This record gives sequence, structure tokens and C-alpha cells, in this order.
Amino acid sequence: MVDLSADLGFIKLKNPVIPASGTFGYGEEFQTFFDLDILGAFVLKGIYKNPRPGNIPPRLHETAAGLLNSIGLAGPGAEELVNIIKRVAGITHTPVVVNVCGEDDEEYLEVAQIFDALDEVAMLELNISCPNVRAGGKCPAQDGQHTYRLVKLIKQNTVKPLIVKLSPNVKDIVSIALSAEEAGADALSLVNAYLGLAVNLKSRAPVFRNVFAGLSGPAIKPLALKLVYEVARQVAVPVIGIGGITCGGDVLEFILAGASAVQTGTVNMVEPAASVRILHEIETQMQELQIKNLEEIRGELKI
Amino acid sequence: MKEEKCRVVENININEKYYLMKLKTTTIAKDCRPGNFVMVAVSTTFDPLLKRPFGIFKSEPPYIYLYYEVVGKGSELMSRLKENDNLAVLGPLGNSFPVFRSENILLIAGGRGIVPIYFAAENYAAGNTLFLIYGAKSAGDLNLLDRIDSLPLKKTYLYSENGSTGKKGLVTGDVREIIIDNHINITFSCGPDAMFKSLNQELAGLAVENYASLEALMGCGFGICYSCAVKTRLGGYKKVCSDGPVFKLEDIEW
Ligand SMILES: Cc1cc2nc3c(=O)[nH]c(=O)nc-3n(C[C@H](O)[C@H](O)[C@H](O)COP(=O)(O)OP(=O)(O)OC[C@H]3O[C@@H](n4cnc5c(N)ncnc54)[C@H](O)[C@@H]3O)c2cc1C
Ligand SMILES: Cc1cc2nc3c(=O)[nH]c(=O)nc-3n(C[C@H](O)[C@H](O)[C@H](O)COP(=O)(O)O)c2cc1C
Ligand code: FES
Repeated sequence: MVDLSADLGFIKLKNPVIPASGTFGYGEEFQTFFDLDILGAFVLKGIYKNPRPGNIPPRLHETAAGLLNSIGLAGPGAEELVNIIKRVAGITHTPVVVNVCGEDDEEYLEVAQIFDALDEVAMLELNISCPNVRAGGKCPAQDGQHTYRLVKLIKQNTVKPLIVKLSPNVKDIVSIALSAEEAGADALSLVNAYLGLAVNLKSRAPVFRNVFAGLSGPAIKPLALKLVYEVARQVAVPVIGIGGITCGGDVLEFILAGASAVQTGTVNMVEPAASVRILHEIETQMQELQIKNLEEIRGELKI
Repeated sequence: MKEEKCRVVENININEKYYLMKLKTTTIAKDCRPGNFVMVAVSTTFDPLLKRPFGIFKSEPPYIYLYYEVVGKGSELMSRLKENDNLAVLGPLGNSFPVFRSENILLIAGGRGIVPIYFAAENYAAGNTLFLIYGAKSAGDLNLLDRIDSLPLKKTYLYSENGSTGKKGLVTGDVREIIIDNHINITFSCGPDAMFKSLNQELAGLAVENYASLEALMGCGFGICYSCAVKTRLGGYKKVCSDGPVFKLEDIEW
């Protein structure tokens, strides 16, 4: 028997598999595919205070082994999400993570406080890294000072564990990670989608109105692994690895690179029951490689 | 809704770039209704990464039929599948046409839009009187006429834009007259956006209930990614995959 549990310090998860924000709906949509109780945790689709329509289509463009999206955080607003979460809590015991968004620091705080007060929520994930909201893909996670200020503001006014989700679209992700840690982040999750460009040859224009869009899927896995490796070596807080994971082996690679747990994104859209398969693969692969528990290999990449 | 491993029973080239695929399913065939679609994993590698949406043309449990046009990489890969190949299929997905009894229903299909229309024709014949308008660019795009001939339709109107089959012109060319002459009170339609656009204009002011089955670029097909947004007349977006694909024609902003 192998031990699949993943220890984040402030919470011990049954296993390291956490479906990522925006690719797992509000959890309940996946109930028909598998029992949500098998998951380590899951992150709900990003939420702002008020309902948002999302970006003008097209919102999607497929690339080789990847996906560019420009959804623009369409959603029902915080009030409605509270109702949804109460409903979801009735169907699973798995820890629920709320992906907190905001147009400005005040909104981030307001949204964070709404869900901080909700018993059914286990953790908050601060989404300071969405590439699809502002033109050019700008977000707070590209500025160390802004990251520090915002994380500090949230930490000072909330009590639940706070995961800060970082952007790969920065010059020096380690310095941003250190700013978030110094400001009190309990964990870091990385990465959000990479900025990319799709061109329509016929119209000679970008495919997306926002010009750039977020690249996710298997295409970004090596890039994400590199950033997880770099950040995990420098911070003391746990790191949650995200980017292009599609199988159990990918999960173990992220753990070796230093992650304490992982989030699976695009794969959930492509294969709704992917979590079941991935969990099974982690277990068999750990047996094959004689790994008794994840802690044994975490960050043990032999350089 | 379930992801199933389905076996290809037949994958026949009907004409030029059009194929008819017969798949053996576990539960999709018996659970599906006209308007429903499936997401097909056209590749087992990551390229293409996303499943492709296809309407259900016919259900004959445990079999479903897909009628598809080769337009790009995914459909091209699909066209190469052979008997006994397996593929992952998610479905049945989306809503379906509402149920009616004792109505005069006009079915309107543009090109591959015949897919949900054919399924509806088979299912709605009992109790209703059905009429069909079926049109496409040219004779090569106007397929399955022998199958359509054997449907219990009161009358069929064929069109091609270049005049190579049926009447020369657009599907929507005579739709107003056809509706008035045949005392139609319901329409079901499926086709390209341009067809819906002109249909919406032609049908304005007529006392007819219109149901349109839409297409959109899809990521997941089951309502979680918000890729398939279509703008509604009242503002805001609906998800084609889970709020649709069948909408009231006039609820959509064309
Ligand atoms: C609900 C629904 C039902 C459908 N039913 C059928 C059907 O019964 N038979 C059939 O032949 N096709 C159907 N389609 C369209 C079919 O999904 C696309 O033709 C297919 O996904 C193209 O994949 P590809 O890899 O071959 O082409 P790609 O290389 O992905 O694209 C080639 C071209 O097709 C366009 N395209 C891609 N995806 C779609 C899409 N989802 N809708 C419209 N255009 C698209 C692209 O913009 C591009 O111009 C349906 C689509 C939807 C949403
Ligand atoms: C359709 C889509 C929607 C997403 N929405 C969100 C979101 O609301 N909040 C967020 O923090 N990340 C969002 N992401 C980013 C993912 O959570 C994840 O960080 C990214 O896709 C990389 O992981 P992957 O390669 O496994 O998909 C979204 C990604 C996709 C593809
Ligand atoms: S395709 Fe994902 S929500 Fe419709």
C-alpha cells in the first residue's frame, strides 16, 4: 500500500490531485462522472463580486497539444456562488477552494471576506494572475509590490488559509513568489495560463479581441515544471504545481520538482473523469517505482 | 451523460467530404433525443487535444449515426477510422427539440444541418405533419436524399445555391410562403449562422414557434468552460452546449 496523502501544513489532503479553477466548473457538474470525495480538494471557477458576462467570442482556439482561452472570467457573482457552495457541500466532504478575483484591491478583499466567512469553504486561492481580463494580459502578479500589498491586505482581514496563484508571464517569478510569501501567503500555486497569440491568416488579425490569450494544456508542462522547480527551491511555503498535467507520471514529476500537490486543468475539459484515471496511475506508478509516500520524493530531483 | 468507449461499425464516404459513421454505444443511443449531440475523441494523442462536437443523426439502440463533413484536422482523422476501431465518446449532451403532438412542423436544414433535423423527422412523424426544406451550396453537399425520401414527410423542398439539384436559391428563399401555404405553426431549423440570420428576418411577424439548433466552438461540451457562448437578444450569453444547442430562434442575437 502506498500513501497518497499530500501535506500542505495547514491541511492534510487525501491525495495531491486538485482540479484547477475554471476547468472544473463548480464541482457539481462532475458528479455524474465520479464521486467528488476521491479528490484531494477542488478549486471553483474564479469569482468576482458581481455577475460577469465574459469576453466577446471567440473564446477558444486550439493549438498543438494546447489550448488558448479568452473566457474573461464569466460568472454568476459572489452572492450566487455562496448558494452554489452550500449545495456542493451537501454532495461531498472534499475541501472546496474558492478562486478569488477582483478588478481592484477593494474588490479582492470584499470577495475574499465573503468566502472567508463561509464554513463550507476550506481555503481561498487568490487569483492575481488571470491573463484574460485586462488588455495585454496585465495582472497584479506581474508586480512584486502590488502582489505584496494585496496579499498582505487579504491576510490581515481573513482567517482561512490563503493560496496565491502566480502568473508565468513575468520576468522573475521567484521574486514575486518571495513577495507573496513575505506578505503571508500560506501556499503558492503556479502557474496560471501563459500568454500566447493566435493569428487569423485570412483576416490578418489576431483571433482574439484581447489580442493575447491564455495557453494551457500539455504544451506548457515543461515550462511550468521549470517554474515550479525554481520557486519551490526558494520558498518555505508549500507549492502547488499546475500546468499541462494529464497523467499520474506528470503528477510525480511535479512532486519531484518540489510541489506538495498539483492542480489539473485542461485535462478535465477533455476527459471529465481524468481525475479517476490520474489517481489510479499515481498509485500504480508509486508501487512500480517503490515510492511509499510523496514526501519521500518531494523536491528530490537529482541535479 | 457519460464517456463511453464506442466501436466503429461503419464509416462510409457518402459523397466528397461527407461521411456517415455508425457507432455501437452502451447507453448513448437509448438515452438520446433529437437535438442532442456527442463529443468525439478523434485522437488518442494530444493533437487535436479537444473532443469534437457532432449532432446525432439517428439512433437505433445500441447504435448511433453521425453524419459529418471533413473540414479540418479532427474530422479528417475521423474519416480515416475503420470498422472495429474504438473511440471515446461523451454523450448524449445538450437539450433537445421540445415535444409536440398534432402540429404542422416545418423542418429546415442547411447543409450538414440535416443532422438533428433528420433525427427529429424520424421521431416527430407520429402525431404531427412534417414538411422539410433542405438546401446546400451544390448537389455534392445535398446528401442522403434516398434516406430522406423514405421519411414520412408531407412535402419536401430541395434547394441548391448553384441550381445543380432542386430549386436554385437559398433555403430561406420561399420559407414565408411555405409556412403560410401549409399552415405551419412550428419550425425546427439547423444550419450555418448565415441561414439563421436570414431565417430570423423571414420569419419575423409570423405566428410560428421557431426552434433553432446552433453550432459554436466548444471546449468541453458539458457546460464548464464557457467557451461556447452565444449572445442573446436580452443581453448576456448562453452556453450552446448546456443551455442549448436548441434555442428559440428569436432569443438569439443574429
Ligand atoms: C452542437 C454541434 C453539433 C455539430 N454537429 C455536426 C454534425 O452533425 N456534422 C458535422 O459535420 N459537423 C457538426 N458540427 C461541427 C463540427 O463540430 C466541426 O466541423 C468540427 O469540430 C471541426 O473539427 P476539425 O478538427 O475537423 O476542424 P478544425 O480544424 O477544428 O476547424 C476547421 C474549420 O471548422 C470550424 N469549426 C471548428 N469547430 C467548429 C464547431 N464546433 N462549429 C462550427 N464550426 C467549427 C473552424 O472555425 C474552422 O474554420 C457540430 C458542432 C456543434 C457545436
Ligand atoms: C477554460 C479555462 C478557464 C480558466 N479559468 C480560470 C479561473 O477562473 N481562475 C484561475 O485562477 N485560473 C483559470 N484557468 C487557469 C487554470 O486553472 C490553470 O492554471 C491553467 O489552465 C494551467 O493548467 P493546465 O495546463 O493543466 O490547464 C483557466 C483555464 C482554462 C483552460
Ligand atoms: S463547451 Fe464548455 S461550456 Fe460549452
